[in-house]
Amino acid sequence: MAEITVTLPPGVGLHARPAALFVGAAAKSSCDVTIGRPGEPGVNAKSILGVMGLGAKAGEEMVVTAEGDGADELLASLKEILETPEGGHA
Amino acid sequence: MALQVLSPMPGRVANLSEVPDPMFAEAMLGPGLAIDPPREPVTAVAPISGTIASLFPHAMGIEAEGYSILVHLGLETVKLNGEGFTLLKAKGDTVTAGEPVIQWDPAAIEAGGLPVITPLIAIQAEASQITQLVADGTPVEAGQPVFEVA
Repeated sequence: MAEITVTLPPGVGLHARPAALFVGAAAKSSCDVTIGRPGEPGVNAKSILGVMGLGAKAGEEMVVTAEGDGADELLASLKEILETPEGGHA
Repeated sequence: MALQVLSPMPGRVANLSEVPDPMFAEAMLGPGLAIDPPREPVTAVAPISGTIASLFPHAMGIEAEGYSILVHLGLETVKLNGEGFTLLKAKGDTVTAGEPVIQWDPAAIEAGGLPVITPLIAIQAEASQITQLVADGTPVEAGQPVFEVA
């Protein structure tokens, strides 16, 4: 299983828009993907409501894990989405 | 069996394409519709019976039987950090459809420069799963069924 830790950028945290982008990217992959706080069980990263339910705030560290084909590439792209500040999204 | 989704508030039914936010207008989160509320204090009620899986001052997500429904009170209202909203429930609570969850005042939010149109979304559903029960532009009461998700 591959794992990365990402610090959420300044802004409003992992709310609806970033969550939708993040989940959209995760859901396209065949990997099992989770996101959560360090030391806590993660939630299914393909569930918008699950990810929004974390209520993750700007500046928090989040751990993303992926298991399956292309896990490393997937994590790299998810990291980029999470680290893009609000307003930086198209 | 289709799940009936209730309007969380009184207001006018609007097409999602009228929502000035591409995330909702392009159904990135899923299909649904929007409610344009009256400009007076209102209580947003649970659109379905289930568990509150996600709760913010400005938004609630309720899960039941594999369906997830999101009510997002106004747009960009996350920026208010809860000001102007009062939560009557907590994340993880079980609610019955029609039960009060969040109090807010659309007039005050609008006066602060944010849109108050409220998307009601079947999270991650396909557009083909939704049957709208009330035509766009129609006034509805809180608790009135507005669409079904199959």
